Amino acid sequence: MAAVMWIEVLSRDGEVVARERIEAPEARIGRAFDNDVVVNDPHVAPHHLRVFRGDDGELVAEDLGTLNGLYPEHGARRVARLPLAGEPGIRIGRTTLRVHDAAHAVPPERAMTPPRAHLAWDLGLGAALFLLILLLNWLNLTQEPTANLVLLPMLGLATALAAWTGLWAVLSRVFFGQAQFALHLRIALSACIAIVLWDLLTETLSFSFAWREIAEYASLGAWAILAATCYAHLTAIGPRHMNVVMGLVLALLASGAAIQFVSKSENRELVGQRATLGDLRPPAFRAVPLVSAERFFKDAEETRVRVDKARTKEPPPGGGALDSD
Amino acid sequence: MRYSLLVAGLITAGAATAQQTPVPAAPEVQQLPLSTTAERVYEHAKPRILQVRTLLQAAGRQTSLGSGFLVSADGFAITNYHVVSRFALDPKTYRLEYLAPDGAKGPLKLLAIDVAHDLAVVKVERADLPFFSFDARALGARLPKGERIYAMGNPLDLGFTIVEGTYNGLVDKSYDERIHFSGAINPGMSGGPVTAGDGRVVGVNVAKRLDGEQVGFLVPARYAADLLERARRGPVLVVDKAREEVGRQLDAWQGAFYESLKASGFRSAAIGPYRGLESAAPWVTCWASTNADQVPKPRTAVNSTRCTSATGIFVSDRILTGRADFSYSYFKAIDLNAFQFAKELSQRSAGPGLDPRAGKRLTGPECRDDFVGSGSAAKPPLRATWCMRAYREFEGIYDVTLLVLTQDRTREALLAQLTLQGVSHANAVALGRRFLESIEWQR
Repeated sequence: MAAVMWIEVLSRDGEVVARERIEAPEARIGRAFDNDVVVNDPHVAPHHLRVFRGDDGELVAEDLGTLNGLYPEHGARRVARLPLAGEPGIRIGRTTLRVHDAAHAVPPERAMTPPRAHLAWDLGLGAALFLLILLLNWLNLTQEPTANLVLLPMLGLATALAAWTGLWAVLSRVFFGQAQFALHLRIALSACIAIVLWDLLTETLSFSFAWREIAEYASLGAWAILAATCYAHLTAIGPRHMNVVMGLVLALLASGAAIQFVSKSENRELVGQRATLGDLRPPAFRAVPLVSAERFFKDAEETRVRVDKARTKEPPPGGGALDSD
Repeated sequence: MRYSLLVAGLITAGAATAQQTPVPAAPEVQQLPLSTTAERVYEHAKPRILQVRTLLQAAGRQTSLGSGFLVSADGFAITNYHVVSRFALDPKTYRLEYLAPDGAKGPLKLLAIDVAHDLAVVKVERADLPFFSFDARALGARLPKGERIYAMGNPLDLGFTIVEGTYNGLVDKSYDERIHFSGAINPGMSGGPVTAGDGRVVGVNVAKRLDGEQVGFLVPARYAADLLERARRGPVLVVDKAREEVGRQLDAWQGAFYESLKASGFRSAAIGPYRGLESAAPWVTCWASTNADQVPKPRTAVNSTRCTSATGIFVSDRILTGRADFSYSYFKAIDLNAFQFAKELSQRSAGPGLDPRAGKRLTGPECRDDFVGSGSAAKPPLRATWCMRAYREFEGIYDVTLLVLTQDRTREALLAQLTLQGVSHANAVALGRRFLESIEWQR
């Protein structure tokens, strides 16, 4: 008995819309109804293509002398014959076909997250984020507590989360076939928690080590978290050119971070540092030993060196705005 | 309370367009002239007073106006430094011109400046001029309080004017020697003479208080006489180097000021359960405030003390420097926990300090943070931030803020802030260290 082959007709989005089992040694494809596989595409000839086994037993596609010809699925060069052993895809007219031998190897079974597992995570992470923000709000509360004070930022955050997750779900639906809303929400929630904790950590370290640059440049870490988040979202979608897409996203985020860094340094030159004690924590959070007053004022000499250097430089441009008092 | 001194010299475009309120016409009433002396004084002064105009070199038009008066036959005249400061700091952009009441005009040369007392000597290139002489009683500060004196100048560019007022002696609690003149001094009159009834100069118009009525200030005549003497003896100010001279005078001023502050002594003052350093100088005045009467009831009790030297040296349109402030706030949490209290302190320590919007004449502040302490029981551990910025045009002069927060308790703290303007690094460090080391827990 001759080996079986399968011919799949793909939609424009890459989904399989029809699948024919061919038991004959040769299959004919075209728009006419006497073909084995009928393709409804005005750019396909009535008898466009035949697929048969070559001398070595491998499948070969052959153009039957048509106007629009035969192309490999991802190729731009027209061919008369196309061996299908390596790449099973064919393009005729505007239609993509795939021809598989019965012996064609399929990828192994992919592990599946149990149904509703993402949902359970979403609930857990959502509750954690809610409690975290509630706790931080309470720790930072210095005025009379009002419902507005707590609920408004929460509402804002929930809206932003929904919008962000919705965007990724739409992309996922288009390029992967499923929205995976629960999975994308899980990624977004994790990212929110990471950013809140990062912010808390850097502010605290900045106080504990009396090192204000930690807080000043903490946003660079937030950009890295954003990049990791985008990576996770993209992995869930699994675009065909993952590396290219991820490269683009990374480049975008890196330029965002760079622009912020440059504007921060520029701002530093224009208006200097803020003459404040910064974000304070209870005294127990101090992590460095006390220095003597003598040492402190000696160390503070560096500020004199820095401003002396700044004064000999020309004032930075754009000071016009500063001059407007 | 805040001092708001208007340096009365500069009429700028904004001031010139100030709305004029017409005074309703008074009914014709037969009245005796209020002061025949004023008529006489003005008649005498008329050929001796000047309007000092700063013109934009490129446009040839006025950018600021003040007054001045002749003090020698060969054209030496006195005005305020702040009247000629634009020209002194930027002689390539501006030039000086005088306008006499008879309409005569001509260029003015800048011969000497005294930034500390806000005076300048300029010269008119004419000979055989009538001039003012100084009042010998004023030079010796022997003028009686209550004497009628007469301020002259060209207020708001409305024309030469004489203002009758009262001599009220030297201002109390002031580091700078200033005569308190009870009479109207308005922008444009700065640098004009103030004479006694015999036409001899007692002082020079310089400033007024914006929060009072008819509270004017004069520079005592003896500083003008001293500067005139210096200008005569030379060396003459090289105009292109005037900026360096301003820097030297600022440095000398701050040297004398901090010497005097030190000589006046310091005392340890109680602020809640803490103690901190206060100046004992009579011219450092302290004010207290509290939030106890706030509605709704505050969640942190705050009691603040602010002591200020209230000194102000006019350097340029944008720089008024020379102040030293010591301020303390004692915070006690009423129903805040340790984290909330720390947050409250973070918000409170973001006070004025060094204004980051100082324009291009100062650099941005640079800061250093640390935890400071000696480990002794009475001295609490401190969180300290030292910030300073430099005057671009004057080497070795800085604005400094030292913020200190006690770290010995979780729900009460003392926030101490020392702000010094126009100070040398050495003086700032010496006072800063003293300030920081004097903070104690007393209970």
